[in-house]
Amino acid sequence: MDIASAIFGFLYQIGDAAAFLVLASAGLAVVFGMMGVINMAHGEFIMFGAYGTAMAVRAGLPLPLAIAAGSLATGVIGVIIERLVICRLYGRPLDTIVATWGISLIFSQGTLILLGSSFPSAGTPLGSFTVGAYSYSWYRLILMLAAIVLLVGLWLLVNRTRFGILARATIQMPQMAEALGVKTRVVYSLTFGLGAALAGLTGGLYAPTMTMVPTMGSTFILEAFVTVVVGGADVFLGTAPAAGALGITKAIFTSWQGQLTGQIALLVAVILVIRLLPRGLSGWILKERS
Amino acid sequence: MTRLSLITALSGILISTSLAADPPIKIGVLEDQSGDFALATICKVHGIQLAADEINAKGGIAGRPIQLIIYDTQSDNTRYQEFMRRVLQKDKADVVFAGFSSASREAYRPIVDQLHGLCFYNNQYEGGVCDANMIVTGAVPEQQFSTLIPWMMEKYGKKVYTIAANYNFGQISAEWVRNIVKQNGGEMVGEEFIPLGVSQFSQTIKNIQAAKPDFVVTLLVGTAQSSYYEQARAGGLELPMASSVNVGQGYEHKRFKPPTLANMYVTTNYIEEIDTPESKDFVKRWRAKFPNEPYINQEGENSYLAVYLYKEMVEKANGSTKIPDIRKAIATGGISFDAPEGKVTIDPKSQHMSHTIYLAKVNDDHSISFPKIWPDIKPYWLGEAGADLTKSNPHTQYTPSDPPKKAE
Amino acid sequence: MSRLREFFSRINGPQTFGSGPRFWIPLGVLLLIAYVFPLFSDDYTIGNVAYFFTWLFMAAGLCLMWGYGGTLSFGQTAFFGIGGYTYGIVTLNFGADNGVTIYALVASVLLGAIVATLLGYFLFYGRINGVFLGIVTLAVSILLERFMAQTAGPQWRIGEARLNGFNGMNGMPALTIPWPGGDISLPAGAGFYYVILSILLIVYFGIRILVNSRFGNILVAIRENPQRAEMLGYDVRRFQLGAFVIGSALASLSGVFYTCWGQYITPSSMSLTSAALPIVWVAIGGRGDITASLLGALLTLAVFQTLTVNGAQYALIMMGVLLLVNVLTAPEGLILQLFRFRFKLSPRSQ
Repeated sequence: MDIASAIFGFLYQIGDAAAFLVLASAGLAVVFGMMGVINMAHGEFIMFGAYGTAMAVRAGLPLPLAIAAGSLATGVIGVIIERLVICRLYGRPLDTIVATWGISLIFSQGTLILLGSSFPSAGTPLGSFTVGAYSYSWYRLILMLAAIVLLVGLWLLVNRTRFGILARATIQMPQMAEALGVKTRVVYSLTFGLGAALAGLTGGLYAPTMTMVPTMGSTFILEAFVTVVVGGADVFLGTAPAAGALGITKAIFTSWQGQLTGQIALLVAVILVIRLLPRGLSGWILKERS
Repeated sequence: MTRLSLITALSGILISTSLAADPPIKIGVLEDQSGDFALATICKVHGIQLAADEINAKGGIAGRPIQLIIYDTQSDNTRYQEFMRRVLQKDKADVVFAGFSSASREAYRPIVDQLHGLCFYNNQYEGGVCDANMIVTGAVPEQQFSTLIPWMMEKYGKKVYTIAANYNFGQISAEWVRNIVKQNGGEMVGEEFIPLGVSQFSQTIKNIQAAKPDFVVTLLVGTAQSSYYEQARAGGLELPMASSVNVGQGYEHKRFKPPTLANMYVTTNYIEEIDTPESKDFVKRWRAKFPNEPYINQEGENSYLAVYLYKEMVEKANGSTKIPDIRKAIATGGISFDAPEGKVTIDPKSQHMSHTIYLAKVNDDHSISFPKIWPDIKPYWLGEAGADLTKSNPHTQYTPSDPPKKAE
Repeated sequence: MSRLREFFSRINGPQTFGSGPRFWIPLGVLLLIAYVFPLFSDDYTIGNVAYFFTWLFMAAGLCLMWGYGGTLSFGQTAFFGIGGYTYGIVTLNFGADNGVTIYALVASVLLGAIVATLLGYFLFYGRINGVFLGIVTLAVSILLERFMAQTAGPQWRIGEARLNGFNGMNGMPALTIPWPGGDISLPAGAGFYYVILSILLIVYFGIRILVNSRFGNILVAIRENPQRAEMLGYDVRRFQLGAFVIGSALASLSGVFYTCWGQYITPSSMSLTSAALPIVWVAIGGRGDITASLLGALLTLAVFQTLTVNGAQYALIMMGVLLLVNVLTAPEGLILQLFRFRFKLSPRSQ
């Protein structure tokens, strides 16, 4: 019984860390991995999702619907941003850094001015359960489940729906797709909107567990970037296993020596992986396959 | 923000014209009104504006009106350096009220020393600044911990677990906690240091459960780290908590849903809920001027009383704003003010301030009660450790493990 | 003699803008103003302009690495920190007499160059490029920041110098020139201003000569098409490493001057926000040309500061809008666009 509860505890920590990385990076993986846009405003999209969810909860919606509402609202904002700014920057990844940095300044400062320096939190639902000598939060398990559902759902969307096929075609060979009658402009906008909506979903999911301030996205952004880059260009072959591997590394080191060691271990792992696999995990996997 | 400072400037100008054109006393204000720290610091500016308005309405400082020069330092240390230089060299301010994080204070302190300025630091911090150009009104560890920890140990037990932000303030505060726990016969069952900006605490919560403490000392700094409270409650952790920094600064009890912070005990020199007549009147006046203020925290009250203390100093120095005259006034030991928290006095040896320390308990519904009040706790550590600004000016910051070297 | 002439003739060349009197005369006037204006100005403005200059070395280094070499490094702030902390450690241990501060400056830049060589070897000889290089250098910056931020305890000291963690290290002496009549200390003021301006000019002309030389031409060729350069027989990695070392050493120089100016250095100088700033400055000016980069960085710093002073809470929003406008209307850089327009040159193939 003791060993079982110790194993459960260990798996819980790994799942918690990996879920955080998956959820933090999913939106960025779509936007960067599929579209080549380095989105420095990713943290602000997460914040919008969180704020949208919290506002929906205050308006009376139950939490799952509120999260969906926050995510959808963020997706819409993403589409608007794509139309106004991003569409002019394809093929220029380094210019997207400057542009999205500017957007991130506008968003976070704008939220501070309009909504004040903080927003009341929604409160974590569902309470706790015990295994062995420790108690755990049910909601953290839900986050882990959400990460898995997200990956499965995204895979289905990209590989089994019409939109997914059109998106992949447009991104891989835009001229060909356009020649075949695909409205590439719309596909780009929707894909970016999807990335934004995923970021908003992350914000909504984590909102009940966190302080709500305009700069709350900054706690996700570094982890998101390193996971996406370590993963490489492909969201499924790359980002998911990267999140898993980095999550395990972080969890092990955090439980051994504390949070600082966990963070340092994560960054060192990133440096090492990129050194060993210069095209990221997915680049390596694809090379192995062929 | 611009509008309010415009109104203050205009009212300052109007009053100054009616006061027979005496040159104004310029008070520089360098505070973070945007960026990570804005949550806790926006009301510092408001406190200063409230005090300046009240003093100007009653005739100003020694007959001269106060003029505020306000800069937004954007939670960025380099902006503190840029604007401290600007406010002293270009705007020629007589005194500056500046800084939230200790890093910002240490960034601007060399510039204050170099340009012979006078600066008030109105924030609680880890203690130890021994610099004749600095006046510190913020609370220090000996005031907050030597009251809090023995009380908690008596009530809840002797096993203590500390989680602290992993930088100077957190580490030095944790050191104070460790020493006081040992002095009172207790046991540190665990100590954990969390890097700034971390917001996920599953492992920490597990460690605390494994160590089985009687209460947890939480010295968490920054909005990301305060997510701990929500996650701990959700994870089933219901131990009593003790802090010197949360609630009093970041008003977590207003932002998180009850009962997240239930059973939390905080030593603070002021929070909005204090129900003495002086405090109630202060809150009324504040909310009349700033109806949308989310919360009046201890830094807001510190900033407010600091303006009045400066007024005391200048008037005791016969209207002079020159630093040697002001320091002579401080050396008499008589600079005091009846602040909303109680009477406060500046200690000449360290140029820090005595405080009334309130023990605030957060109840299940997040209302506040005050089980204990310690009036007039002096900032004794620097003086006892051998520092004396009336005799020497080391321009430095000491720590418990790096104390002033006692003169032979 | 002719070799010297050839060396200096490289100040003008295909990789840098401006080669005739139409460019050099206005620039000459600008430099004259820069040297003369302290006589008519107040202490604050001199110190403030000197402060802007301290950041320009980092911008110059990034322009060399990114604009000419095509390598986007997020690690400039890491070397900035290394430079600043090394200067602090050396001068806190050995004082300011006998020209120690000058040795400290040189040592800091050298240490930055050594670390850059090691890191660059790891990166370029590991065939890491593009955005992956950016992420690795960013990870290094943040690793250094996180590590330094927790060095608050008393055990974290190198000799007499306590690292002091997040609160930062202060109390180091200003740049002090040894002089027979008594050492001249240069805190932020006119003396410091002239020193930093002169060194800035040396760096500026040095980079002009460098990029117009064989090294520079090959670097640009690598930026345009690495495979072709490799086919032509050049070891791409060596040139990229060279540019990286020089660029990062310049960032260390920035760190030293910043520390001399403010007598303070902190881990926050190496944070994620700080790492993105040099990229923003250089992007606004125009990374393809050293003159455009430096002028653009100076302009951006001045505009951002002015906005913060006068714009209250809206300053950050206006900065964001400025960045957007810049990227959408003048993607090669505002200053560079201005140059092209002014000198009526055709756009270079980027």
